[in-house]
Amino acid sequence: MSATAATPSAAIPGLGRKIGSLRKERRWALITAYVSLIVAAIVMLAPPVYMLVTSLKTSAEISNPVGTPWIVRNPTLENYGALIGDPMFRGFFFNSIKVTVLVVCVTMVISVLAAFSLARMKFFGSQVLATGVFLTYLVPDTLLFIPLYQIVGNLGLLNSTWGLVLVYPTLTVPFCTWIMIGYFASIPKELDEAALIDGANWMQMLTKIFIPVALPGIIAATIFAFTVSWAAFVYPTAFITRPDEMPLTIGVVSQLIRGDTFAWGQLMAGALLAALPPVIVYAFLMDYYIAGLTAGATKG
Amino acid sequence: MALDATTVTAGAASGAPARPGLTLQRFARRRSTIAFIMALPLIAVIGGLVAWPAGYAIYLSTLNRRMTASIGLENFAILLESETFRMVIWQSCIFAFSAVVLKALLGFWLAHMLHHIPTKGQRIWRGMLLLPWVVPPALSTLGWWWMFDPSYSSLNWILNAIGAPSVPWLGEPWWARTSVIIVNVWAGTPFFMIMYLAALKSVPDQLYEAAAIDGATGWQGLRYVTLPMMRNIISITVLFSLIVTFANYDIVRVLTNGGPRDLTHVFASYAFQVGVLSGNIPRGAAVSLFMFPILAVVAFFVLRGVNQRNREMA
Amino acid sequence: MAGHRLTRRNMLRSGAGVIAAGTLSAPMVHAQGTGGTIRVAFWDHWVPGGNDALKKLCADWGEKNRTNVQLDFINTTGNQLQLTAAAQAQSRQGHDAISLSPWDPGTYADQLEPVDDVIERLVAKYGPINPIAEFLVKRNGKWRGVPATSGTQAKPACVRYDLLQEHAGIDVRAMWPAEGKMGPGAETWNWDTFLKAAEACHKAGVPFGLPMGQFSDAVDWVGAMFLSHGAHITDEKGKPTIKGNDKLRQAVDYGVRLAKFLPNDVWAWDDASNNRALISGRSALVFNPPSAWAVAKRDNPAVAEKCWTVPMPAGPAGRFLAYLPFTTSIWSFGKNKTATKALLEFISQRDSAEFTTNTSGGYDIPPFPSMADFKIWETQSPPVGTISNYPLKPHHQAKYSIAFSPAPPELAQQMYIQALNTKVIARVAQGGESIDQALGWLERELNNMLRG
Repeated sequence: MSATAATPSAAIPGLGRKIGSLRKERRWALITAYVSLIVAAIVMLAPPVYMLVTSLKTSAEISNPVGTPWIVRNPTLENYGALIGDPMFRGFFFNSIKVTVLVVCVTMVISVLAAFSLARMKFFGSQVLATGVFLTYLVPDTLLFIPLYQIVGNLGLLNSTWGLVLVYPTLTVPFCTWIMIGYFASIPKELDEAALIDGANWMQMLTKIFIPVALPGIIAATIFAFTVSWAAFVYPTAFITRPDEMPLTIGVVSQLIRGDTFAWGQLMAGALLAALPPVIVYAFLMDYYIAGLTAGATKG
Repeated sequence: MALDATTVTAGAASGAPARPGLTLQRFARRRSTIAFIMALPLIAVIGGLVAWPAGYAIYLSTLNRRMTASIGLENFAILLESETFRMVIWQSCIFAFSAVVLKALLGFWLAHMLHHIPTKGQRIWRGMLLLPWVVPPALSTLGWWWMFDPSYSSLNWILNAIGAPSVPWLGEPWWARTSVIIVNVWAGTPFFMIMYLAALKSVPDQLYEAAAIDGATGWQGLRYVTLPMMRNIISITVLFSLIVTFANYDIVRVLTNGGPRDLTHVFASYAFQVGVLSGNIPRGAAVSLFMFPILAVVAFFVLRGVNQRNREMA
Repeated sequence: MAGHRLTRRNMLRSGAGVIAAGTLSAPMVHAQGTGGTIRVAFWDHWVPGGNDALKKLCADWGEKNRTNVQLDFINTTGNQLQLTAAAQAQSRQGHDAISLSPWDPGTYADQLEPVDDVIERLVAKYGPINPIAEFLVKRNGKWRGVPATSGTQAKPACVRYDLLQEHAGIDVRAMWPAEGKMGPGAETWNWDTFLKAAEACHKAGVPFGLPMGQFSDAVDWVGAMFLSHGAHITDEKGKPTIKGNDKLRQAVDYGVRLAKFLPNDVWAWDDASNNRALISGRSALVFNPPSAWAVAKRDNPAVAEKCWTVPMPAGPAGRFLAYLPFTTSIWSFGKNKTATKALLEFISQRDSAEFTTNTSGGYDIPPFPSMADFKIWETQSPPVGTISNYPLKPHHQAKYSIAFSPAPPELAQQMYIQALNTKVIARVAQGGESIDQALGWLERELNNMLRG
């Protein structure tokens, strides 16, 4: 009896102290958070900013080692102008868009179908396949490109963006499937049972229930596929040697780095222009991406 | 006759309950057929564009230099005897593990810091911190290379401005290794950050409240609530990153080309150099195959852990 | 804006030219019933406009011979050209002819069409091909390609004559005037003098910009330095000649002593780092083709007008000039070999070669020593005659050289790519090993390459 009476009286001053220290703690936590974020942002943004600064300089200013390299004295847009006015560079852009759009479509069809079948329908070996999907990343592209060169070559797709459309899914499909498996698995079983009872077939179930419900996951996987195929480097380096079939990344690197003499201004301008589409996509769809990606991963 | 009749009735009796079983079976067969067909494109991609070429690479690795005869495992034996390659194994492991650990820690820290600030400010910060991951790595590495350039290094300019001496970023082995890791960490941290941030957000607030009522400090909350809830996502993110980092090629190729003295080579870049550039494709294939068992072991343990926990939860 | 319009117009013009050649020739070809298309991959020239010569030559030839010539220019950044060749050899399909880097004609010899008839006719007209090109291209008694003009380069010293005069008291313009003869003191231009000059310039804060990494600029100059000490790593059979090789020890020792006076990060320099060192005005000497000077002329003219190109220093075994030749070879699986041969013969003619060299501002060196007299090398400026001594000339009393010769090509290519010569120096100078340890490593590495 005395114990129960004593507890509140002892707790109240304790609680008060705790609230005070909590508030203080929270303020310090907030300060630490902002300081960390500012430092991190400076580090994370320094290279792109420096690339931007360099891209606005003339090559004479770049070659002049006097003074700080971090500011532009005579800003010029000539590097950008030269690139945008160059039909070859616009060709790179077009090739990248073409390859990326096709690869994203192919990837999404393959992985949504496969993920649905692996997450819900099960067949002989489906469990192995579900684990195996992720393990395909254990075979990196630097190992695959020589044998793949022969496959692509035998199909007559060397030096063609179609060859890239064929091989890029090795980079995108496993991860997208894996995200989608996780996402589909998180959809309650009652939903499809209800649909089955209503007489829906599997395809209807996928298009009417799973795809709409898992849309954020699909958007996330799409962005992933987009990023990976936009940034792919090893395969185009090996398979594409004609400038008119090159996608942007390899085009910028191979046309603007010229061995002995680097056009750093144009190189940086090209790199930034090449990075623009993914940046724009992220700016608009970042929330979907984060939500979808992590929903898949946390549950998978 | 009577016996026959009973058998027949028995048969009919047992047949009646069997009929739904039969349709169910047929249904299941149909269902698995559909499922298989739906997964077929995936199987085609994995089989035709990954498994088959990988098998071909294994076959290649058993050939001699001119690819005219099989020499069994000789290529692997030669590699293991070469001190350069033993260094490459060691360097790949240092590179991959230290980069992944740093990415994991920094990503966790940043995710935590982001989680702490008011929600409406988070978007812009998250957007800024995500940028390194959005830029295609081959291109952003060029930016870093330009910052490391011996004659024009803008990083050395900053160091000199605060009175520190210039650093031979890519010239001295330890600095070169550090530089490669820095670039990789820079490009990969945002991935960890967003994965962790999402995981943090998925931890129900009630758990923290409960922990706070039990008198848990912030640290204890982290240790006993946050980390256990995030274990799966941490292991999967680490695994994924470990694989990608082990197989990394662009950064080493652009920044150092393996130099100085092969002290920054990783499996992929060394395989490229030995296999494609020096024209010894079988030995190059052998080099890249070396990373497979290492990754397979890691993947096995991580995935087993994840599956176990999933089962416990379910 | 004007510049940009100009480049666009040029591009349109050359593009239209190729297209016109194609459309004009196509019907004729069908009428004659000959195979009408040749696809050639050339090295992508990094001198601006350097590809234009081959574009024009091939378009002209195609028009005259009613053949559609498709050109791809593939550069060596990221070893793209070598990768393309490796992949095409592997899959036995691709271009009809391709530019190959120095050791590749030997590596792919059995897949390359012999072109002895072409070479015979060219040699009859222009005299012998230089011995290094012959050593690299003539395999198993057959020429496996036509040594190219476009892209073929040498790496003499590009000197800031003002800095060398000021800090080391050496007047390179007096030693090597642009007059086709040695000047006073030229006989003292050897590696010992070079070492003293390197020390002086290092003290003065303008160290020599000599790469010691794994890229070709580094391997080439160190290779020439080894040869001028008479240092060979293997014999012509590929047998290591490392044990008890005093000349090799001397060469390594020299490299180690020289490295003390170089910037501390030369171990990671690439082919452009030395150019940037020169252009930034922070280096008194680099070994390079005239591209570094040409870029300085555009971006930092004050540096360019103080540059003078001179031969490499001599050593106990003579004077050797680092040489990086390209070869245009025809794949044996190519479809139109006769026409391709005719095209290669056409672009190797003196007029074509001179046009190519002129278009590259003097960068390209034809494989025939008889063509070392093109006017462009005398007239380029500022200062006038600055690259007069760029190609090897009789009065240099020198030989072209390729690192690791006389090793057989498969082995030499591996040593070249893995830069064994710079690494052995680096192991001592940077890694702190003794010369014996480093040479022991070299021998083990070499034996590993020979196995399997």
